Amino acid sequence: MANLTIKNLHVRVDDDSEHKEILKGVDLSMNTGEIHAIMGPNGTGKSTLSETIMGNPRYTVTEGDILLDGESLLGKPVDERARAGLFLGMQYPAEIMGVTNAEFMRSAINARRPEDQPIPVRQFIQELDQNLELLDMTPKMAERYLNQGFSGGEKKRNEILQLLMIKPTFAILDEIDSGLDIDAMKVVAKGVNSMRGAQFGALIITHYERLLDYITPDVVHVMMGGRVVKSGSASLATKLEAEGYAGLRDELGLDVPLTDEN
Amino acid sequence: MNSKRFTSEQNLIEFSNQHHETSAMQQKRLIAFQQYPELVLPKFQKINYRNWGLLKGQPMPADVSASSNTQSKSMSIDLPANAMITQRGIQSAQVKLNQEALTAGVIALDFFDAQQQFPEWFARDYMTKALAADAHRLAAYHAAAVNCGIFVYVPAGVQLKEPLTWSFSQDPDETVKRVQHVLLIAGENSRLTILESRHESVASIAAANIVEELILEAGAQVHFTAIDETKGVAYLARRAYLSTHARLDWALGLMNDGDVLDDFNVDLKGDSSHTEFKVVAISSGSQTQAITTCVTNYGRHTEGNILQHGVILSDATLIFNGVGHIVKGARDSDAQQENRVLMLSKTARGDANPILLIDENDVRAGHAASVGRVDVSQMYYLMSRGLSKDVAERLVIRGFIGSVLAEIPLATARQKLTGTIERKLIDGQRHRDRTK
Repeated sequence: MANLTIKNLHVRVDDDSEHKEILKGVDLSMNTGEIHAIMGPNGTGKSTLSETIMGNPRYTVTEGDILLDGESLLGKPVDERARAGLFLGMQYPAEIMGVTNAEFMRSAINARRPEDQPIPVRQFIQELDQNLELLDMTPKMAERYLNQGFSGGEKKRNEILQLLMIKPTFAILDEIDSGLDIDAMKVVAKGVNSMRGAQFGALIITHYERLLDYITPDVVHVMMGGRVVKSGSASLATKLEAEGYAGLRDELGLDVPLTDEN
Repeated sequence: MNSKRFTSEQNLIEFSNQHHETSAMQQKRLIAFQQYPELVLPKFQKINYRNWGLLKGQPMPADVSASSNTQSKSMSIDLPANAMITQRGIQSAQVKLNQEALTAGVIALDFFDAQQQFPEWFARDYMTKALAADAHRLAAYHAAAVNCGIFVYVPAGVQLKEPLTWSFSQDPDETVKRVQHVLLIAGENSRLTILESRHESVASIAAANIVEELILEAGAQVHFTAIDETKGVAYLARRAYLSTHARLDWALGLMNDGDVLDDFNVDLKGDSSHTEFKVVAISSGSQTQAITTCVTNYGRHTEGNILQHGVILSDATLIFNGVGHIVKGARDSDAQQENRVLMLSKTARGDANPILLIDENDVRAGHAASVGRVDVSQMYYLMSRGLSKDVAERLVIRGFIGSVLAEIPLATARQKLTGTIERKLIDGQRHRDRTK
């Protein structure tokens, strides 16, 4: 069993567009075999949390720690974290010309293997075909340039395809449902559910409860104002759907402005 | 003033006689020898090569009379190509032609044999059309000092299925400066593919001076792919002259490790002639590669397109000049170009200069240029899947130059170039990581 722990995490962003502390002490712990969901209103730091766990250099950790099996990930570059077992399904995947999807996935798989033991081509193709089918993707998608000219929905499916091929220990899925219609969402959920098992854990970041109708989480965390303010079972998501974030905020007596509040 | 020249006139005549040069050839050599110190050096935008020592070094053997000139042999064997020509240093070229090429009347010879056997072609096309012997100091120096080379003629109407391969390598016992001439004459309506490779394993003892002239007669169609992997300093001119309806497609991979001054030029002389010029270049270490590609539309309905993409690692320099020149009278002509440079380090120096000179109204012309750095969001994305920085960088670069590679029609050329690019990038990254 592997464990991912976030301890009192404080994160700043300092660049041309922003200068501010976004995370103000996030605590969270999860094991493989579990699926956690993070919900919360816009601008509350959900994406910052996922990018910081992955190691996006845009974000600076000012306090706290991120531990994978007790070992701190801070100071490790993004590629090392990935090889250590993390995967981030991104909200806005980059487009790369001239590199095919299949070629990229093979490189990513081989990056985790000893240099002289690359994945056998046959095995790779078999797994690729299976996963393409599972996700209702045409084989052509594998031969297209990485995300180049993909629609929003195709990009999201492609993130899940990479997840299935790379088989990380922990996957963080950042608003993987945004911009998806209900059918596409079901496909994405099918992909994630197929990964469920003792060797895999997922942290699903979402805005709406809807995705969680298809991927039932073991734990739901609610973030507001840069902190996890409440954790509970799957029923918490249902409650939120009914009462909204403002209801929970008032119930907890928090002084947090909600950006989308009328 | 003889002291300014590389040798004495007497030595030069002796060298010429030793190589059985025709009197016309010898005369041309002597005139250039007189002229070169007085001629101006060619000017290229934003390129200063004055301290490169391009004119330094000794192209004549110390004991001229001792230099031998063995006749190059042509032989017919089974080849994966129509012709394979190899030349090591300034030694005589080795030529192999297959039966198809021999039957078709293809001629491939060492430079000195050719000038002797085909004086009329040399009088007409050798340093007259594509690069005049008195064009500038480097050209005149070349005409005066040429000490090796090859000649290829493909007769009118001949269409070769397999490529002609030219390989130029280094003489391990190199003693003199290499001044090499390549002359190709593609007869009317001939069709051929050339695969050239230049390779050095160590820096040459003196800056090389290389001129390649491609003369395309009416309707000739030539695909020319070259992969340059030299180590030393060099002036390298590739110059083409296109007659009516001729078509020349270039694909050049400039993967040199030394300082190279590339002087590429296409004259679209004949009406409806057309060139597609594609270059990929990688500069690494502390080298400079300075590339000037000039296409001049003289004829009507001519079309010239330049596409140059380059990558710079470490503190190397890469300069792309693209010159599209449409002269008065070249009606209904088209000159387009795109020059792009990608820099991978803060100390890299890159330049992409498009220059359009238009002296005619009824034309189309356009350019695009950019100098940029690797997109951080692309790097982050690739690395977030576990790829190391170096591998991620190579993928982004491959994408960047892939648009040029994709347009190379010949699969073998494309694969060879892809392999060479990977090698050059890995070397460049190693060098960078070592010196960091």
